Amino acid sequence: MDGPNQSSPLAGDFLAVLKQRKLVNDVPHNAGHRSELKETTATTILGFKFAGGVLVAGDRRATSGNVVMYDRADKVLEIDRHSVMAIAGSPATAWEMARILEHSFQFYRRSQLQEMSVEGKVRALSKLLRDNLGMVIQGVGVVVPLFATYDKKSSDPAKVFFYDAMGAQFEATDFASSGSGAPAVRSVLYYENNWGAKPLRERGQEESILLALKALDTAAEADTATGGVDRHARIFPIIKIVTEAGVRTVGDDTLSELFQSQVA
Amino acid sequence: MIDEPYRWVEAISNRREYIENELAPGSPTIGLSFSDGILLLTFGRDRRKIFEIYDRIAMGGIGHPGDIERLRMMAIELASTEGFTRSAADVSLRRMATYSFSPVLKQAFEQIYGAPYLARLLFAEVGESQEEDLFVRLDYDGAMHANAMSAGKRRESFGAIAGTRRGLEQVESVLSRAKISNLRNALETAIRAWGAGLYASDEDHAEAPEEPALKQFLKSRLEQYTIEAAVLERGTAGSHAGFVEVPEADLEPVLSKFR
Repeated sequence: MDGPNQSSPLAGDFLAVLKQRKLVNDVPHNAGHRSELKETTATTILGFKFAGGVLVAGDRRATSGNVVMYDRADKVLEIDRHSVMAIAGSPATAWEMARILEHSFQFYRRSQLQEMSVEGKVRALSKLLRDNLGMVIQGVGVVVPLFATYDKKSSDPAKVFFYDAMGAQFEATDFASSGSGAPAVRSVLYYENNWGAKPLRERGQEESILLALKALDTAAEADTATGGVDRHARIFPIIKIVTEAGVRTVGDDTLSELFQSQVA
Repeated sequence: MIDEPYRWVEAISNRREYIENELAPGSPTIGLSFSDGILLLTFGRDRRKIFEIYDRIAMGGIGHPGDIERLRMMAIELASTEGFTRSAADVSLRRMATYSFSPVLKQAFEQIYGAPYLARLLFAEVGESQEEDLFVRLDYDGAMHANAMSAGKRRESFGAIAGTRRGLEQVESVLSRAKISNLRNALETAIRAWGAGLYASDEDHAEAPEEPALKQFLKSRLEQYTIEAAVLERGTAGSHAGFVEVPEADLEPVLSKFR
């Protein structure tokens, strides 16, 4: 039993506490050697701003090479009351990152008695990605996430950030996408935003959910690694909405109804 | 000194007397369970004294701010690492108090060349039902009192700490007589219990306060102290909203009754 964490010069740093207690392993650096391991990967994820906040969606498929590993993967994860992280890439690394992130924000709030700033949160994910560099070089455990949050203090409160595998962070003006189906999704969102009925930011919640379903369906049409809607097994994408009131998951009933009436 | 047992006992008892004197003026902190969760309440003058520890656990303390801070950080680190490595459901106040806090406090207290923790802590853990709510009082010497850890004992639906033993008895006597149905009346009961405890901490007050005396006493103290109240909400295992500060709008109507 030891006293307060002394290992980090940063107060409220949960990752430093985990490292000090050896509860996380540093990634072994093995530069130049690419692994032959066929890892499980996942995806198409997207995020865009709409009238009430920001919508984040992801398909449910996890693949390993040509094999479908799992068709009920949850790639859109609630990190705190107003933040969501969506993952593309290796779930093994990504889910662990999400867990660390969730605990880091809570640990900071509880120990420092204030909420971490949005900049701090965005940067925390960037740091986790950088720590994963050893894996990226070996070609396994690559993660390319999206991070969406609602910042009440900002004049433009809905925020979407996307990253590259090495941890560079970019703020999206209107939308972002990641994963193998991203090119298709990006085209759909770009087209809709510029020449659609109205810009994404002016759309209501239901219109936005519908657009997310259509975009994911478009991605699944060409990309084998992206799972479409399975109506027999009732498998729908995960869609989360972040507004001033917090994070809400859109229910399967709503998705089923919208899909049947307007997509399929 | 170690090779002279008598001197050691003497040193320990001096130390106890010193710490008790330091803690005596402390303002009572009260934990009270009700249908929607656990209310934690105290009054202070200058600093915060009720803290969120983990999803279902909160802490209050009296003593030296530096020591309370060290113990608070220890609790947050313990709970967070456990919750991360295993799961939030594995974080348990019973384990934390028995296996970590009690031994650490006792060791610091008995190592007479080192400094003891000048602190008395109250931990609360909200359960799925009111019967599962847990309150643990931990003293500077590692002594532990829980409302329910042994079978066959009548469960109290409250926990409290106070500066003196007499103060604590008064707080507990108010709390044990009360019937709590909602937050509003939990607040009212806790404020009364706090007043009774602080009243009894004064050496001039040998007897429990009569109703008019308590009213008068509370009225005068409310001018010097500011209230601090938070609720650990029940049934929020899957969400993050366990610990919520009681908003001003809920406090004001209750406080005005005592002014």
